[in-house]
Amino acid sequence: MSANPNVIDFDEGWTENIKQKALDVLEKHLNEGVDKIKGRLFEHKTYIDTYTICYNMCTQRTPYNHSEKLYEKHSETIKLYLQKHVLPALKDKQDVFLLKELQTRWHHHTIMNKWMREFFMYLDRYFVKHHNLKPLSTAGLTHFKTLVYDECKTEVADAMLVIVDKEREGNAIDRTLMKQIIGVFETMGLGGTGEADANGGHAKDALGAYNSDLEEPLLVSTRNFYGRRREEWIAVDSTPDYLVKAEKALDQEKERIGAYFNLNSESKVLKVCEEELLENCQTTLLEKEGSGCKVLLANDKTEDLERMFKLFNRLDNGLNPMAQILKEYIEGVGQGHIGQREAKIKAAEAEGKKEKGDDPDFVKALLATHAKYVDLIKAHLSNHPLFQQALKDAFASIMNNDVGNTTNAELISTYCDRLLKAGGEKLSEAEIEQNLDSIVELFTYLRDKDYFGEVFRNQLAKRLLNQKSASDDLEKSMISKLKAQVGSQFTSKMEGMMNDLSTADEHDKGFKDFQKLPHEEGKCPLDTSVQVLTTGNWPTYQKPEILLPKAMQPAVDQFARYFKVGQEQRRLTWFYSLGTVKIKATFFGKEKKSYDLEVATLQGAALLAFGEGEELTFTELSQRLDLKTDYLKPVMHSLCCGKYKVIAKNPANNKVKETDKFTPNAKFKNNNKRVKIPMASLDSNVNTKKVEEDRTVNIDAALVRIMKSRKTLGHQALVSEVLEQMILFKPQARDIKKRIESLLEREYLERSEDGNNMYNYLA
Amino acid sequence: MAGMTDERNLTLLSQEGDSFQVPVSIARMSELVKTMVDDDDDADDDEMQEVPLPNVKSSVLSKVIDFAKHHAVEPMSEIDKPLKSANMSEVVQTWYSEFVDVDQELLFELILAANYMDIKPLLDLTCATVASMIKGKTPEEIRKTFNIVNDFTPEEEAQVREENKWCEEA
Repeated sequence: MSANPNVIDFDEGWTENIKQKALDVLEKHLNEGVDKIKGRLFEHKTYIDTYTICYNMCTQRTPYNHSEKLYEKHSETIKLYLQKHVLPALKDKQDVFLLKELQTRWHHHTIMNKWMREFFMYLDRYFVKHHNLKPLSTAGLTHFKTLVYDECKTEVADAMLVIVDKEREGNAIDRTLMKQIIGVFETMGLGGTGEADANGGHAKDALGAYNSDLEEPLLVSTRNFYGRRREEWIAVDSTPDYLVKAEKALDQEKERIGAYFNLNSESKVLKVCEEELLENCQTTLLEKEGSGCKVLLANDKTEDLERMFKLFNRLDNGLNPMAQILKEYIEGVGQGHIGQREAKIKAAEAEGKKEKGDDPDFVKALLATHAKYVDLIKAHLSNHPLFQQALKDAFASIMNNDVGNTTNAELISTYCDRLLKAGGEKLSEAEIEQNLDSIVELFTYLRDKDYFGEVFRNQLAKRLLNQKSASDDLEKSMISKLKAQVGSQFTSKMEGMMNDLSTADEHDKGFKDFQKLPHEEGKCPLDTSVQVLTTGNWPTYQKPEILLPKAMQPAVDQFARYFKVGQEQRRLTWFYSLGTVKIKATFFGKEKKSYDLEVATLQGAALLAFGEGEELTFTELSQRLDLKTDYLKPVMHSLCCGKYKVIAKNPANNKVKETDKFTPNAKFKNNNKRVKIPMASLDSNVNTKKVEEDRTVNIDAALVRIMKSRKTLGHQALVSEVLEQMILFKPQARDIKKRIESLLEREYLERSEDGNNMYNYLA
Repeated sequence: MAGMTDERNLTLLSQEGDSFQVPVSIARMSELVKTMVDDDDDADDDEMQEVPLPNVKSSVLSKVIDFAKHHAVEPMSEIDKPLKSANMSEVVQTWYSEFVDVDQELLFELILAANYMDIKPLLDLTCATVASMIKGKTPEEIRKTFNIVNDFTPEEEAQVREENKWCEEA
């Protein structure tokens, strides 16, 4: 009893009131089943009384201030309860029973800690703060951690991991129990270092206990589990089956973490699974006999490939091996096409036939293969850059592997020719457009794009001059596709050619009007049309000189007069090798019969050189036409040895000699009145020399361009800059060196005096 | 549900046993009351809760309730420390300066009640008021204000003055 009747002494306040009336009751509730009580454990009055006594004991002046003693009692009460009731209860429990007991005891501790904090609440306000002590609730948790958690955490974690493995094997488990125990692990970080977090977030290592006591063992057990799974599965399953299982396992792990583990564990657990299920057997899976990546590609197992992609995409650099296989596979398919082509060439050789200059089946096969893998990559491999690169690499290797005498550049250009030529491939305009797009894609893989350009331009010229082109629009569209890929320098001549053609109608009309002028009227009896071409845009053609038949010469003269009007400075040169004429020919065989012969200008001139029934020697003919032997031979060959033998040759064989004699073939007969007599072109398809010359010019231009802007540059740097600028072909380093030497000679450049390998630009 | 909760009343019982019906939302200004009421969210019986406050007299409790009610309408502005003025009307809004314009005994009982019930703004206001009564006064004036008997011997007092000289200079 204290001297002052208003002062509460410690024993009175603690033993008689706080302990007896509140804390003993609290323990009794906990031991007898706190869950049976509905509503509050303590009436407001009981609570307030306890709080008030505590408050009064803490606000009394020293020496009657009992704050420190009460703080100690708070801890002591909790510790004693944990030691007396909780530890023994947990001691002999195992497995699920241990977890269930812990779940209950943790629940009780939460209740106890809450009430203990509320009873002693006043301590938190000043005493704890002023003495830098743990707040009541943290203190309560700390006691639980040291006395209970640290004692049983290993066993508890082990028990949980066994349950997780059970679930992985397909058994149902008590997920709520797991989630609650994981809550204990999470709380046992005690809010991380220092004070409990003020802003509601977790402090730095708030999950410290969870991480070290549960997550780490979880990662180990996960690794073990899936390591075993991998061995089991890989021994019996095909790659697709394995991947289905792996995908499912990964999904389940993700779901499991979301359902009851801490979400921070997700990436770590999944990484372990990925390592065990995917990374550690990647090569085995990719190369598995009968079901590896190549087999899947060969059998178009797109769904399996897609899954394979998605799974390996989870690994760092996980797609590289797959991309490599894809590249090799596509290359293999391409080599297959090339092999078939080689076989075809050999078979033709064996039969003594010449190799054909085109191979549409080969090009179609390449296009189909390309389209197929573009689609596969787009539709199933997410258009991933690695696979796009693999396709590119594969096709670069295929497209630059030329076999036989005809290059792939020529083959695809010739295929274009088929597409663009009237009566070539029977396709709709849209289909042709699509085909052209694909051709242009193949074109981009070519190392020597300039070579393709040259072939293409020649074929374009032929189509245009022979009026074989199916559609101007398609031609223009193709040219613009090429332009989009490699620039206007590449296509400027082709565009010039198209332009020349579009002015043809103008000339036609102008010429017709010119012919009607009084002083020109009747001077040309022939219906004449002239195609004017701009020099330089067009390929270079043979220009045979010939003495035109009397009927034709006036037309040429008249057009020349027309053309001269207003443009005296422009020079007109005639290419008789490119024109055509229509001749009405009458043959006096058993019965008299007339035909309309459609022939080249040279052929026409040759035909008109013969008088009725006249026999001429080769030499006589050559003199009469004033035409060189080299040109006359193919002309006569087409008239005597082709399908339509309108001229008879003596001796009658398949070769034209200078000693041969010719006479009109009176016996010529044909079912159709219209006869078109083809003639071998005087020009070879491509002038490779021209390509070489252009390359030289291109390299020179690039060298000068670079040096003009850099003024001074080292040899290596200069060579690599040139290589960078040459998109149409890949020059050899020694070719560039040759050009540099030539420029040094011509004094565009000089060797720098101080540096050994430096050049200066000379303006 | 949350809106409904705020409509509810509870009864505060003073030391003398007088009942004061207060909306729960007002009573929750006291951290002590809040602790008890928050617990009850799920045990939502219609019976009105009674919260006894044995340390608070009726006269004081009714002032505390006035304060809490007004605070809900016009929250008290933060009191700057150190005090700007010895005049409370220059420290807080008029209502609050008039609220603490009471005799010393009631003022001290309000401090105790605010501390007991854990109402921070009220504790700030009442403590600041006491501080304002000290501000700018000599020890003699302070003794007079609070009716304190000087129990220093002249020597002791001289020594304290000497030790705290810096304080007067400042």
